Amino acid sequence: MASDGNDPDEVLLAGVSRGEPAAVRQLLDRRLPRVLALARRMLNDPGEAEDVAQETFLRAWKQARAWKPGGARFDTWLHRVALNLCYDRLRRRREIATDAPPEQVDTGPAPDAGLMGAEVSRRVEAALAALAPRQREAIVLCHHQGLGNIEAAALMEISVEALESLLSRGRRALKASLADLRGTGG
Amino acid sequence: MMSLERFEDLAEIYGGDIARWPEGEREAARALLASEAGRLTPVLAAAAQLDRLLDLAPAQSPDAALMGRLISAAPQPAGGGRRWIAGLSAALGLSAAAFAGVLVGVTAGRPAPMAAPVAVTTAAEPVVTAVDTSAALQDAIAEPAAL
Repeated sequence: MASDGNDPDEVLLAGVSRGEPAAVRQLLDRRLPRVLALARRMLNDPGEAEDVAQETFLRAWKQARAWKPGGARFDTWLHRVALNLCYDRLRRRREIATDAPPEQVDTGPAPDAGLMGAEVSRRVEAALAALAPRQREAIVLCHHQGLGNIEAAALMEISVEALESLLSRGRRALKASLADLRGTGG
Repeated sequence: MMSLERFEDLAEIYGGDIARWPEGEREAARALLASEAGRLTPVLAAAAQLDRLLDLAPAQSPDAALMGRLISAAPQPAGGGRRWIAGLSAALGLSAAAFAGVLVGVTAGRPAPMAAPVAVTTAAEPVVTAVDTSAALQDAIAEPAAL
């Protein structure tokens, strides 16, 4: 996963390592929303997602001074750290929830029946949460994070063929569980 | 030449936007779509329906408190302690270097300031949230010269 030498974050990261407030702020503006969104969609829990995002960037700050330009792209490294932290939490949930069902988003009726968009959003979130974790990871990386297939496969440490299989199965499962919403999405 | 089956597979795998398909297959896919639009446009439309639903999955925006915590925890300028040391040592009548040496001796885990004295400038961008002592210090000092 070597970069092509054009990592857009390298200059900012050098600034972060020198303690430049503007570089810190700019890097957070650029990357924190993506990390937070990734964690939110992987974990289906806003509080846990925020914890993961915070831990990811605390590790990034530690890494900043040791960062070697020309190696892995910083964004790829961030995704890997965030995903690992998400998996730690998903594993812990499975260990704790032996007799209780895993925490799911509330799929009951919206408080306001007029909140159609919010209800659809909750349904989609629940459907994503119900996927097998690797299928969810593949869909979040490729669709939501906008990564290319080669980069996503490398991040997941699988072949492109295996990634395509996960995407295909995941999207088929989503289509089935959201069949009644087809046509709602815009 | 791409087969119809491969086109349908790609739509199922990557969704209804050919621009998001594997780079090496986009051109062939567009060529096939141009010649088989009647059959393949509905395939793309069906895949795009799911894409639009997926786009409705909630994301999350960073709140000010999280930004503030991360800004406060970010690395501090290497010369950050030096100006503080210079000010304090001047007040005590010691040379900055001598006073820094004493401090380095007793401050475990914090790297010794290595940079040459730096000019004081205005911080390029204000830090707006959750400012603690170190963040305030960071705002007050100059950015170090290029390493």
